[in-house]
Amino acid sequence: MNVALLLDVAAGGLLMGGLYALIAVGLNLQYGLMRVLNVAHGEFLMIGGYLTYMLHVHLGVNPLVSILVSGPVVFAGGMGIHALLFRGLLRLKRTQEELEANSLLISFGLLFILQNAALLLWSADIKGYQYLDRPLHVLGAVFPTNRVVAFGVAAMVTALLFVFLKGTLAGTTVRALMQDPVGARLMGVKVPRVHGLCFGLGVGLAAVTGSLVSMLFELTPFIGLPYTITALVVVILGGLGSVTGSLLGGLILGVLESLGVHFTAPDLRMVISYGVLALILVLRPYGLFNPLAPRPGQASQA
Amino acid sequence: MSVGVAAGQPLTDSAGPLLEVGGLQAEYGDIPVLWDLSLTVRAGEILALVGANGAGKTTLLRVLSGLLEGFLKVRRGTIRLRGQALKGLDPAEIVARGIAHVPEGRHLFPGLTVLENLKLGGYMRLARADRRASLEQVFETLPLLRDRWRQLAGTLSGGEQQLLAIGRALMQRPTLLMLDEPSLGLAPRLVAMVFELVGRIRAGGVTVLLVEQNVRQALALADRGYVLEAGRIVLEGRGGELLEHPKVKRAYLGL
Repeated sequence: MNVALLLDVAAGGLLMGGLYALIAVGLNLQYGLMRVLNVAHGEFLMIGGYLTYMLHVHLGVNPLVSILVSGPVVFAGGMGIHALLFRGLLRLKRTQEELEANSLLISFGLLFILQNAALLLWSADIKGYQYLDRPLHVLGAVFPTNRVVAFGVAAMVTALLFVFLKGTLAGTTVRALMQDPVGARLMGVKVPRVHGLCFGLGVGLAAVTGSLVSMLFELTPFIGLPYTITALVVVILGGLGSVTGSLLGGLILGVLESLGVHFTAPDLRMVISYGVLALILVLRPYGLFNPLAPRPGQASQA
Repeated sequence: MSVGVAAGQPLTDSAGPLLEVGGLQAEYGDIPVLWDLSLTVRAGEILALVGANGAGKTTLLRVLSGLLEGFLKVRRGTIRLRGQALKGLDPAEIVARGIAHVPEGRHLFPGLTVLENLKLGGYMRLARADRRASLEQVFETLPLLRDRWRQLAGTLSGGEQQLLAIGRALMQRPTLLMLDEPSLGLAPRLVAMVFELVGRIRAGGVTVLLVEQNVRQALALADRGYVLEAGRIVLEGRGGELLEHPKVKRAYLGL
């Protein structure tokens, strides 16, 4: 077996995994924090992609620069949607299960609204543009330049998010709220405000991912859902509420998918993805990197 | 052992009560858990609230903190802190008014370091210098936390976690500190340490509302106490008096 080829395939998967990580981190900020399962998460990726497409094709804005528009615009829109749709839900919830079920319903509605709005605005035609699609030679391997650039940007954005989460009091508050909502409320954390911020941040990251995806693939109003599912697999793989887990989980899934497809067929990509999900649920239901998972020999907190 | 009133802590109401609860009725779903409950906490005292499991002690603290999640509802009654109504406020506003609550089960942030946990305790204190001073004070009260500042809270022992939970609450510089079963599940040596700490906290000017199942030690330390049974106050008095009360002796001390 050709080791160099395998490494090539794995590296290609890693590049894709960077995007998976970014969108999964965004979903985790919502689901890990609020148990709001936003199945419309991928729609925000789609919107980010179209924003970049419009800015690039109609106004000649560099796709990379367009991220500075798509991210903040969708972030603000996300905060608005949260205030409109989810804030009341969070206030009225009586149990965690009730919230998960209701948020699922609402976000399904949101999914259809956003998808159909995109159909009206941009039609069902496939849209795309060429950007940096010449080959790039890296250490003897060849990759499309745009994939390497997209990975680099994804890595940078993720790094910024880590600085925010680990290095600022606001970020520490977000992590605290993920780990123990009751504890956080007793510290005086204004929960609805932090939830809104994280929802905005989450869909903003999806939009940034969408801008990057638009450099690599063509757009339709329907590209969102598969990314939502991939993000969900990554969140469960890495551990609910663990941002580091989502990051590593994304990279791992990217590599596994790439190798799996290499040895089977491109059509089986989703099957591989679901296979990973099933395996992790059986073997490590708390995910690979969840700091909250009970350790062996450690009694649960009294 | 001396019980009841500590030296220099007169049991007068000269300044009016710090916290006043009147006619409080709370329900889980449709099931009442607190019945027409009235009590007062006087500034500077340690008040013990004792009673069996399920008597409503934890529920009362949750109501006082505004943690009305899920099925818990307040039907009737008043809650006043220095005369200002607290009922209906959310936890953030109640914390801002000076009530800190160390809940049952501690509710620490297990994946955050000791220092990060403490910093979140000072979350409401926006002035950085203020937070620093609070932190220094907590480290002085609990030197163990200074030694462990980089450790994740989830990796501390049960006793250390309890001390951290109390330290985190002290970061809020509360006027009233509510402790829910701080001695639960701790070894006797640590229980003594926690009770000693509660005494020191009061000496530092913080009023303490102590919920305990460890009735003997709680009443021995407290200035006054209430006995709660099935959501009602059935006895009240000075700590020492309650310890000698036949009913308390029979029901809680096994005498």
